[in-house]
Amino acid sequence: MNSSRECKMSNSPKPVATRCELDENLEILRRIPIFSAIPLQRLRLYAYLGKRVSYGAGQFIFRQRDSGDRGYIIVSGRVQVIREFSDHSVLLNEFKEGDFFGGLALLSDINRLFSARAVTSLECLTWDRESFQKLLVQFPEVALQILDMMIKRIIQMEEKLLQTQLHECVCG
Amino acid sequence: MISKKPLFSWVFERYIGMQALLFLMILTTIFFRVFPLEMQKRIVNSAIAFKRLDALLLYSGLFIGAMLLAGILKFLINLLQGYIAQKILLDMRARLYDHILTLPLSFFRRTPAGMVITSLTSELSVIGEFLGGAIAVPLINILTLVAFAGYLAYLNPLLAIASFAIYPIEIIIIPMLQKRFNHLNQHRIDVTRDLSNVIGEAISGMHEIHGNAGYGLERGKLLRFAGSLFSVRIRMNVYKFLIKFANNFFQSLGPFILFLLGGYLTIQGRFDIGALVAFLSAYEKLYDPWKELMDYYQDLQDSRVRYKQIMDYFDIRPEFEIAPPAERDPYALTGQIEIKEMSYSVDSQTHILDRISLDLESGSQLAVVGVSGSGKSTLAMIVGQLYSYNGGHVLMDGRELKTLTKLDVSHNIGYVAQHPFIFNGTIQENLLYAFQSTRRTSNNGDIAAMPEGEEVLRVLREVGFAEDVLKIGFDTILNPDKHSDFAQRLIEIRELFFRRCGVELAKEVDFLDRDSFQYYSSISDNLTFGYPNTAQYEAEALPRNALFREVLDDARVLKPLLALGEELATQTVFLLKDLREDPFFFEMSPISVDEFEKYSDIVARLGKGARSRLSAADGDALLGLALRFVPAQHKMAALSPALEDDLIVARHRFMEIMTSRDPAAFTFYRPTEYLYTFNILTNILFGHARADHPQAMELIRQRVAEMAREENIIDEIMALGLQFRVGSMGDKLSGGQKQKLAIARALLKNPRILIMDEATASLDNASQAHILQLLGSRMRGKCTLIAVVHRLETVKDFDLIAVMRAGGIVESGRYDELMGKKGLFYELVQGM
Repeated sequence: MNSSRECKMSNSPKPVATRCELDENLEILRRIPIFSAIPLQRLRLYAYLGKRVSYGAGQFIFRQRDSGDRGYIIVSGRVQVIREFSDHSVLLNEFKEGDFFGGLALLSDINRLFSARAVTSLECLTWDRESFQKLLVQFPEVALQILDMMIKRIIQMEEKLLQTQLHECVCG
Repeated sequence: MISKKPLFSWVFERYIGMQALLFLMILTTIFFRVFPLEMQKRIVNSAIAFKRLDALLLYSGLFIGAMLLAGILKFLINLLQGYIAQKILLDMRARLYDHILTLPLSFFRRTPAGMVITSLTSELSVIGEFLGGAIAVPLINILTLVAFAGYLAYLNPLLAIASFAIYPIEIIIIPMLQKRFNHLNQHRIDVTRDLSNVIGEAISGMHEIHGNAGYGLERGKLLRFAGSLFSVRIRMNVYKFLIKFANNFFQSLGPFILFLLGGYLTIQGRFDIGALVAFLSAYEKLYDPWKELMDYYQDLQDSRVRYKQIMDYFDIRPEFEIAPPAERDPYALTGQIEIKEMSYSVDSQTHILDRISLDLESGSQLAVVGVSGSGKSTLAMIVGQLYSYNGGHVLMDGRELKTLTKLDVSHNIGYVAQHPFIFNGTIQENLLYAFQSTRRTSNNGDIAAMPEGEEVLRVLREVGFAEDVLKIGFDTILNPDKHSDFAQRLIEIRELFFRRCGVELAKEVDFLDRDSFQYYSSISDNLTFGYPNTAQYEAEALPRNALFREVLDDARVLKPLLALGEELATQTVFLLKDLREDPFFFEMSPISVDEFEKYSDIVARLGKGARSRLSAADGDALLGLALRFVPAQHKMAALSPALEDDLIVARHRFMEIMTSRDPAAFTFYRPTEYLYTFNILTNILFGHARADHPQAMELIRQRVAEMAREENIIDEIMALGLQFRVGSMGDKLSGGQKQKLAIARALLKNPRILIMDEATASLDNASQAHILQLLGSRMRGKCTLIAVVHRLETVKDFDLIAVMRAGGIVESGRYDELMGKKGLFYELVQGM
């Protein structure tokens, strides 16, 4: 009986085990800037369709050139983003709690441009492309915000990559 | 060619003996039809008039005897006629299908599948029915008419002429109306076909319609044809009922004349009563054969039209011969290919391929690259003899490809399409498809024996499909009637497995432990901890099961579960109320789309605060919802640890009671029991993999496969995997699995020439590398390879790379040469 009451009053502090996953996911999303702008009723659906996954330190979440269909938000832990070349690999970025990565796969059927590896033990909230696109279609007003965020992220990545290449040229 | 075959030739071509038998039976039956009339006359004139009882009995006996014989003969005639009809239909269907299968691919691109289907099914069966009676029906009816007419003329020529005088009028008027009717009917068939095409198109393009909200447009398209169908139908009705009216009128005109003239003649004493009775009765009997002839005429017209339409539709010549002449075996080609100035165009204007020249030694490997639309695939399809070229030559061992038969080609060429088609059936059947067809159609029986199981497994491993098949095999749910021995073996392996990997996998697996709560099972599975063997304990029936409820109540979990049901219903209805049109959103919900209305009503009643207003049925529905709840899957509610403990107590109680009262009702999740509701993997694991550990499943599969290898059950599992039914168009397989299956299918044939049209496009990197490795090593030199390639990083090892643009080859050479040239290939590689 008391277990079921919890869900409605997610703000009140209660033992973690009895809070439902949907509310936990919702809490996580509300702490992340891009998602916090989404109306709560819409955000609940993102929380509903999201899936929690965990990895041990050193495990790969995905490898470069694999086909992928998931995007990830880090709930706890850290992730290294690595570009692998035939003879060496380059550390592109490191993500921490609250960061969003791998999101391009939510938009299109692409092969991964980089590998992602858990540095510490890691917990993520993740969506697959089908769920994500269903939500985009259902709520176009939210879609624009998310696309905007993703494009900014791509530009950031490109810039980082270009800098790395420049750096390599100068050095080598 | 079959499409030129006249309609009636089907009747006479075969079954001459049966037709003759039918004719004899018809002649005999005519006699037995006329004979009772004469008996009628004698009963009235000789027996009744002279009060002779013996004559009455004799004539009546003969009368009923003749009627009976006529009836039996008619029954036999119908049977025989039906038999001939079905025989003809079978023959027509088989031969027409043979013809259709050989039509060029271009035909099927412009022809809706439904069109071919209705032609071969409903349309053809109408024609078959008609052809069965094509001789019998007119013959029997004309002869009957002649016999009756003769008899009537013998009774009284004047009366006979008078009553027959109506028929010529009828013969003119009714066919005239009928012709109009048929004309309209033809129109109706055309419109109906258009209508079907509109609907068919809408259904296959439903995503565009939804995407563009094209509902109104589609409705308009439908209405255009539906509207004209409406008006045609109305006009058809006018003619149909006019025909009926005319028939009825003429039919009653006959007796009118008979009574008037016959009555007059009898009053005058020039005609006797017995003859009049016989006359009336004969006249009445004229109606049936007459009507049947009319119907026959209509069916004839109808069948002619249908037949002509079908045959015109398929009146296309196959592009290639199917099989070599009987005295020659299919060629065994060496794989040497020479293409000279070959061109391919459609509508004689659009050049898809333009003067292509290529020389391939036997065993060499060619990669065809280029931007999309450059004609790569078309080139592959032409070499695979799927299209025919219009200009130049394609020579295989110096023989023009056009002149080779399909059988020559299929014996030597393996073709793997970009989106290979997988047939409904097992994996094994699909694997052997290419192989089997070369065997079936070969002229002198077995050219090669079926590949051995070893051979199949080797090819599966080579293309990297073996792992998939093994995985599918482990996902098999065994049948208790067929596999009980194997199940026993699996129980042994389960124990070994747990001893070895139990500790390692403790964090990845929810083992089926009777003392711990199962987060990956529903509440009802948690409570019963087994699967029911009788309907009264099925999950859907549990909320109404008195014993089950009693246990819940005793363990004090009934109320908390009802509350859980309320919570689930409230949360789910709140969450999904705007998303009812897309079933996708309900996949992770305990409430299905269909039940949404029901639970939403319950939630509305709950919202009014009156829990007492809930009916018993509402309570059952809420309990049912709670029982369906899978904690690891349904996110909208959670259980308290205390309730989980109580549920385990209730589980123990339930198992205890069931074991003592009705031990056969449940198969409990015991380590000694094979669980036939779960697949093999779950049975060996005796637990569920934790979905929140993405790598868990991979690790578990790896460990289970290792165990299976050591315990020598891999072959059995592979065999089960090969028996997996792939579903219609193979939709239970992934895109990559379909491609691997298609490659294995082609390789099993041991082709001299292998054509791969972007055949590795949907494979993951590892599988693609695997296939390339195979082509570069074991297959090298074994067959000539033509690969259309999209990913340029894979072409380095090819003997020759042909770079295409706009239907022509712009440059060709080895990788290094082309890179050195800095031409189009260099650009393509750079642009990657």
